[in-house]
Amino acid sequence: MYPKPLTYKKAKTLDEAFSMLSQNDDARVIAGGQSIMPMLKLRIASPSLLVDIAPIRELHEIRLDGNNLTIGAMVTHREIIESSEIGKNLPMLQETARHIADVQIRNRGTIGGSICEADPSADYAPTLLALDAKVVLKSSREERTVDLDDFIVGPFEVNINQGEILTSVIIPVNRSPYSVVKYARRSADFAVASMAAIVEKKPDGTITDIRVAVGAQSDRPLRMKELESLLKGQKPQKKDLYLEVDKAVEHLDPIDDIHGSAEYRKEVTANILKTNLGSLIFGGI
Amino acid sequence: MVENRHISITVNGERKEADVEPRMLLVHFLREIAGSTGTHVGCDTTNCGACTVLLDGRAVKSCTILAVQADRRKITTIEGLSKEPGKMHPVQKSFVDNHGLQCGYCTSGMIISAYWLLKHKKNVSEQEIREAISGNLCRCTGYDNIIMSIKDAEKRMEEEGDTLEEEQAVTVRK
Repeated sequence: MYPKPLTYKKAKTLDEAFSMLSQNDDARVIAGGQSIMPMLKLRIASPSLLVDIAPIRELHEIRLDGNNLTIGAMVTHREIIESSEIGKNLPMLQETARHIADVQIRNRGTIGGSICEADPSADYAPTLLALDAKVVLKSSREERTVDLDDFIVGPFEVNINQGEILTSVIIPVNRSPYSVVKYARRSADFAVASMAAIVEKKPDGTITDIRVAVGAQSDRPLRMKELESLLKGQKPQKKDLYLEVDKAVEHLDPIDDIHGSAEYRKEVTANILKTNLGSLIFGGI
Repeated sequence: MVENRHISITVNGERKEADVEPRMLLVHFLREIAGSTGTHVGCDTTNCGACTVLLDGRAVKSCTILAVQADRRKITTIEGLSKEPGKMHPVQKSFVDNHGLQCGYCTSGMIISAYWLLKHKKNVSEQEIREAISGNLCRCTGYDNIIMSIKDAEKRMEEEGDTLEEEQAVTVRK
């Protein structure tokens, strides 16, 4: 399969990329290409111009600024897995990257590209939502920083303007106990259900911080804020947790497709939440 | 009208130049221009891994990269693994000896993925092998003999002193 005919330009700097993007209303950015290439071939996307941002040096940086780790849009999944800076400061993100697709895709796919594709079943989003990540968007005119939660709009839709480039992701350092689960029939598939959670508690068991997000359960990945607020400040019993998880999962509205029926996806979500929130809150499995 | 672009890609140590449409996939460049038909088009949807090659030493799916993106970079295909013409690389040899293939369509991609694993890790476990080939589909073998082949290939590579290498320095047949 071939994409529709297109023009291709390589940008060496952000300014060069902005000027290329401004020449053409339906230009698209290509980073690692592991999301956009399949879309081009299926002709779901048919831009007349592709601007390759791979040569832009600053987009490859991983930088610790105070309490935030800034990860450039061009950083690949593999680089995230191998970065000692990320291992030290965001082990949860590293664990997430290990389960993305397969070796070949992790060698080439990037964090910026994956976020911009906004597949509701993709792997980073639940983790990044739990970590309160922000994205930095730049254009020739302005720079803005947006909460990832506001950046993701719906399936394959993000809050980005023509001419803007997602340049980096800013993630507050977090070494709290976490759980990341991806449930798929084959490891290289998209998730049928996925979750990411962080739980901090006092020695007496009272939950001081809890953040839970799920993927593949709606038209976009979701933070489960209601469930969080019900559990925060509490010392729940197992049966309370299970009851609240069941109630929270009731509200989800996952897609019904060949990878899993809506009912099945909800059941898997309830089970992985109970098991893994359970082990974070009560210890053991 | 879209203009062609002049690109130059080093395939198995040999420079291949051509004017190509920007939408040309790397796998088509390799097969049709470089003549490396050992690289296969399987699913053409980034799933099956039959088109796996090394791009600057990294295993990638060549159906999911534009040829223009690989301009001025180095590609190693199945034809470039062996350092001696006419002789198979230990990974290829062990696939043959362990019955690691039936129809053979997935094999070139499977071998590149196996090679990449064995160049990056020592004493690989079965789990690591399974993970390393999770991006390569085989519809014949049920994978067991492929896994056996890769385990055996590790031993053979060690015997031949074909050890871990830095990615950028992957040797290719000149």
